[in-house]
Amino acid sequence: MKFRKKGKVLLVIAIIGYLFLWGPIIVLGVFSFSSDSYGTRWLSFTAKWYGELFQTSAIMDAVIRSLIIASVTVLAATAIGTLAGYGLYKYKFSGRRVLRTSILLPITVPYIVMAGALLVYFTRVVRIPLGYPAIIVAHISFSAPLAVFITLGRMQRIDWSLEEASIDLGANRLTTWIKVTIPLLLPAIFSSAVLIFPWSFNDFTITYFVAGVGTSTLPLYLFSMLQYSLKPVLINGISLIFILLPTIAILVISSLQRESKKTR
Amino acid sequence: MGLKKFFIKKKANLSALPVVGPLSIWILLFVLMPLAVIFIISFLGRDITGSIIPSFSLDNYRLLFSEGSEYAKAILRSILFAFATNVACLIIGYPMAYWIVKHGGRFKPLLLLLVIVPSWSCYIVRIYALKQLVGYPGILNNFFLKIHLLASPVEILYTAPAVVLGLIYIWLPFMVLPVYASLEGINPALLEASVDLGATPAARFLTVTLPLSKGGIFGGTILTFIPAFGDWLVPLLMGGNKVWMAGNFIAHYFIVIGDLPLGSSMTVFLTAAIVLMIYLCIKLGGEEAIERIL
Amino acid sequence: MKNCDTVFCVELKNLVKKFTDTVAVDHVNLEVHQGKVFSLLGPSGCGKTTTLRIIAGLETADEGEVLIDGKVVNSIPPYRRNCNLVFQNLALFPHMTVEENIAYGLERRRTPKNEIVKKVGKMLELMHLAGMEKRYPSQISGGQQQRIALARSLVLEPKILLLDEPLASLDRKIRKDLQVELRRIQKEVGITFFYVTHDQKVALAISDTIAVMRAGRLDQVAPPEEIYDTPKTKFIADFMGATNIFSGRAKRMGDGDVVLESESGPKIVALNKKEIPAKKITGISVHPERITVSPGDTKSRAENSYKGKIAEMIYQGDFVETKILLLDSEDNKQIVVHMNPKLSQKTRFSIGRTVLIQWNKENSNILQD
Repeated sequence: MKFRKKGKVLLVIAIIGYLFLWGPIIVLGVFSFSSDSYGTRWLSFTAKWYGELFQTSAIMDAVIRSLIIASVTVLAATAIGTLAGYGLYKYKFSGRRVLRTSILLPITVPYIVMAGALLVYFTRVVRIPLGYPAIIVAHISFSAPLAVFITLGRMQRIDWSLEEASIDLGANRLTTWIKVTIPLLLPAIFSSAVLIFPWSFNDFTITYFVAGVGTSTLPLYLFSMLQYSLKPVLINGISLIFILLPTIAILVISSLQRESKKTR
Repeated sequence: MGLKKFFIKKKANLSALPVVGPLSIWILLFVLMPLAVIFIISFLGRDITGSIIPSFSLDNYRLLFSEGSEYAKAILRSILFAFATNVACLIIGYPMAYWIVKHGGRFKPLLLLLVIVPSWSCYIVRIYALKQLVGYPGILNNFFLKIHLLASPVEILYTAPAVVLGLIYIWLPFMVLPVYASLEGINPALLEASVDLGATPAARFLTVTLPLSKGGIFGGTILTFIPAFGDWLVPLLMGGNKVWMAGNFIAHYFIVIGDLPLGSSMTVFLTAAIVLMIYLCIKLGGEEAIERIL
Repeated sequence: MKNCDTVFCVELKNLVKKFTDTVAVDHVNLEVHQGKVFSLLGPSGCGKTTTLRIIAGLETADEGEVLIDGKVVNSIPPYRRNCNLVFQNLALFPHMTVEENIAYGLERRRTPKNEIVKKVGKMLELMHLAGMEKRYPSQISGGQQQRIALARSLVLEPKILLLDEPLASLDRKIRKDLQVELRRIQKEVGITFFYVTHDQKVALAISDTIAVMRAGRLDQVAPPEEIYDTPKTKFIADFMGATNIFSGRAKRMGDGDVVLESESGPKIVALNKKEIPAKKITGISVHPERITVSPGDTKSRAENSYKGKIAEMIYQGDFVETKILLLDSEDNKQIVVHMNPKLSQKTRFSIGRTVLIQWNKENSNILQD
């Protein structure tokens, strides 16, 4: 009897949790189809805001900037992060512990701390121009460690005698890397990219500090729209897209994974 | 055991270089050096305009904690808010994780995704969504006013509770995930053993489940307390300019005023507080706490 | 005297391998004859896998030489040695099909495409696996995976095939089938097998020669029957299931026999065929199935005949494991006997009963270590 009651309490809290996480986003999405320009009142159904959204060139420019930054970050961060994850797992070298601890820093220290530090460093010490270069450099510092940890996690589950088998069967190191190691690491490389892309696309704090003038990414543009309360309903629309895209991406990925599990 | 030996060589510094070299250099140049620079600047003097004077000085730190310092208050406020966020996330997140583990069945991956997905979306968008819902003019206010459940609008924005609500909303997923991972890792045989040995469901939870999920709880604490502690966007958007946290001061001094020495000392102090927190969490939660956050 | 012209398939000379805290391989010398199955048998941690990995080139020796086909290969990298390894966990590439797995080594050698297809097909046929080409390793059974791993190495026609307990993870029935299969395949291809195992039954079943390894050293190298019948040391005797071991000092008797004054009391007679000096003899072992038990308590005049009391009987299916307390023993020595179940039923042996045990001096095996 008591047991069942406990189960109910759990269920209620779980429902509250999910409602809390999803409620605001769903309601916002629904109200993005309201003709009220504040997006807080239901007047009548309309899709005109979406039309306006796609015709506002400032928004589209911001989207393109964000896409460029996220793409470059994904390529660079996944590459150096995966390599380093492989090295950290496979080799013992001096400074290994230091490196492992250091890559925890960008993940654990609050964004504001790293953002401030990078701003000072870029403007006063190394003179990397604010804007694209600074944003991309900063984003790589944050996301390469993510790729390292994802790679390390995957490496623990890989059967490394496969590399030895390849060498034993006559392949040299490089061929072994291409034919065996990289295919084994592909899931890790893929998840790194999938994690890093939205991170970079969505980042606000770091970008805000090192963007300088004129390199307004989508989150930055949204922030300024919020500050000056320009057509809030447009933000409703953007929000819906923001939620739909990762959701669709995840559903596709997880169904792909299920497929590949079936065939394996 | 022997499997790794061929590839792990005792002194493989040279062969490790091409793979770990790029990241090492990057981390040194763009993580360690910037932090070191901030650290040094925080011990340099400043003139009235906030420009750097290249001489050693503790003035910045003295200023931070002088009487009536707004920054000291903001630090205390940040600790309080982060603590409240942490506790609330635990109260909602632990049962959520427990429920998914116990009753999720074959929907477990989907239920977990539903927790993660919101955190993948833009931070600004999420806070904006919350604001649109609970603020005034806002969706809930408008709705309740219209059906005459409310006589006058209720404004909760720009208060301390609103900031905490925002922090919980943003960071909740990061409590559920580590707790879920550690609960899922508990060997079911242990639970059966405790029942077999006469434990009631409550006793079983307190003596087996809770201690074994300790690592997840502390991992979740690292992942919720620390970012909440260093947050500045939630107080900015949910609290207006009324409820500043430590991060808001840092942003203000770095970006608006451009007073680097003072901003740096604030940053250094905030980081020190956080390092202490992480240390405590690892001490109390053991190695598993770190594992769970990765 | 050894013929100096003989070229062995594999030869290890004074091989030494140290890890930080232990000596894994301690001055090992051995020769493997062409076309035979050579087993390296020993408990886990005795250095047998390390030895195998040194031959494969995955591990480097600290001292000594490895010769393959008469040539020293110490400094040749694994991918250029003419030997291949079947891994304990098989190490089949999960992202490649059966066909791609088998073709992997041939592709590395840049074998022409049509030849690869031909060779892979032949291998699949040899392994009775035709039709499995397009499957992934996870889609076939454990026994089939085993054969694919074997095929992947054999297709390269190595001078020697190294096998690292590939049967260990299989259940008993499949393991037995595969033992037979392995022998058949080896006979068919004629390639030398170097088989590492901790399972004495597998080693006895498949080998031409067995080397028993203990703590980095070789205790005995001999054909299976010899290892089983006349283990040289207590360790091997015990490992081979000759659980009745007597320690003591031996004396020569007139007619070429020796008599052991065992520490437990009884004097034990053994036939000293190899004429081992009495000083070197440290004990005697007897296999449980070579001892006969008869009812009655009158001591017979036959050699090695003792009175005992049945202490324990455990039914094992094809025999009854019976522990008999030696009555003349000073330290309550128990003898283990494998009795025929029919016999034990007929004679109505039961716990507590006094019986007579006896074995011939030919079955007393002399130990020296």
